[in-house]
Amino acid sequence: MMLNHSSKWTGFLGLIPFAFVALIWWIIPQTMEYPKYMLPPIQEVVERYFEMVQDGSLLKHTLASLRKLAIGFGIGSVLAIMVGVSIASSRRVSEYLSPLLTFLQSIAGVAWIPLAIIWFGTGTNAVLFVIINTIFFSCINNVVTGVQQIPEVLRRAALSNGASPIQILFNLTLPGALVQLIVGFRTSLAFGWRALVAGEMIASAKGLGYMTLEAVQWYQTGTVMSGMITIGVLWLILDRWLFKQIEYATVVRWGILKK
Amino acid sequence: MNSRVDSRRWHSIQQWGAGFFKKLIGIFLLLICWQISVPLINLESYFYPAPYDVWLAFIDLLSKGILHSYLLDSTGRYLLGLFTGVSLALLLGVLIALNQTVAKAFLPLINFLFAIVEVAWIPLFVMWFGYGLTTIVVALTYVAFFPMLFNTMSGIQTTPPVYINAAKTLGAGPWALIAQVYLPSALPQILTGLRTSAGFTFRGLIFSEMIASKSGIGFLIFEGSTNQQTARTIVGMICMGLAWMFLDLFYIKPIEKATVVRWGMLKTAENAS
Repeated sequence: MMLNHSSKWTGFLGLIPFAFVALIWWIIPQTMEYPKYMLPPIQEVVERYFEMVQDGSLLKHTLASLRKLAIGFGIGSVLAIMVGVSIASSRRVSEYLSPLLTFLQSIAGVAWIPLAIIWFGTGTNAVLFVIINTIFFSCINNVVTGVQQIPEVLRRAALSNGASPIQILFNLTLPGALVQLIVGFRTSLAFGWRALVAGEMIASAKGLGYMTLEAVQWYQTGTVMSGMITIGVLWLILDRWLFKQIEYATVVRWGILKK
Repeated sequence: MNSRVDSRRWHSIQQWGAGFFKKLIGIFLLLICWQISVPLINLESYFYPAPYDVWLAFIDLLSKGILHSYLLDSTGRYLLGLFTGVSLALLLGVLIALNQTVAKAFLPLINFLFAIVEVAWIPLFVMWFGYGLTTIVVALTYVAFFPMLFNTMSGIQTTPPVYINAAKTLGAGPWALIAQVYLPSALPQILTGLRTSAGFTFRGLIFSEMIASKSGIGFLIFEGSTNQQTARTIVGMICMGLAWMFLDLFYIKPIEKATVVRWGMLKTAENAS
């Protein structure tokens, strides 16, 4: 009871800085002289936001972005698991390949956008390529280290009890590496999200990133800010809510990680 | 005695050399496959340039002095943005974290601002500051700010109360408390923040240069593709990768080794990336 009360109080406390920002944003346009597009009054941005919600354009761009992210994340993470598990099964191969992977990891992401445009043209495919690339290279190291830190004894035990390679993969390798995998996926989703927004700005005609940068040319600051807020809220939902659910459904429930 | 030490050192150098070449095998294999695949696939060279084309583009960029000036521009922006963001974050982080209530009040706003990734801010920064240096530095400051802020705050907040009470009992004023108790205790976290900020800022640099600049490595990568000089794009990407590995090897890892590991606060440099 006490705890509940105090958490409500903190929730209220956290609103104060938001209210403060909104207040400043409300005062500045009334007291200062500057081109209006630089910082439109807060009520105009809110109006613009609801306008975009009503005519469905915000929903359309949001869905386009989320669809790309889901496809890219799905393909990228499955590829990373497949390649990572096979690399990790041989210490020598992983020794030879790890510098190359480190190098590719350090250029993963937005730097591939121009090449993606050349190879796939501007559009969804180019953005997808960039996302898959980002997700793959930012989590493959986690897959490899996750698999390699599984005690060798467990694998021998499974083998001597007659487990098939597929059984080993699903009952030993993947659960054993799961904590590392989830950490890796969470980081790679963060990078993938940036790559998505960036890729849409440069190489796409749909999605939140495109919407935000396109509006700059028409001086529609309201649209830019609505896009930014949507990007922020979506990311909070993805990172806080979705990954917490996944963590609770797997590692916490199996008692590998305590929360 | 002396010669034995020498021979042992020589042996370790040999071992290091062997390890080094072993590590390069993967990269060599990739280059060879790439070069062989070019005549087999037989596409336009702008679409699929060979490593040799990339080498020529590299020499060309080098001889015209473009690469130097771009690298210098990028380095300057990177350092300026990183330094501004990190120092602001350190200052604000200490101030906010010293008081639990203030920290609790500000955390939701900080989380929300961090969730609006810098990529999404760039259009607004472009509207405010135009295309150019200011936009890039502001964007990089924004990127560098948050990882450092989070780490500084959590470092300050996890300072053992025993130390604080002990220092207070001995009559330490607020400044002495910050300088001699909070900051040293938060140092491992602050350095982790510095490393993370350095990484995020590096990625932010490339993208903001693509959108808001007419020079720099990010611009080189982007311009190459719009002019169908794909080899230049690849030169830019390789420079970017090498720059990051250089930074990681000679700057980020030594910081950690020189301070934290030596003081025994963290055991290995590997698990905190």
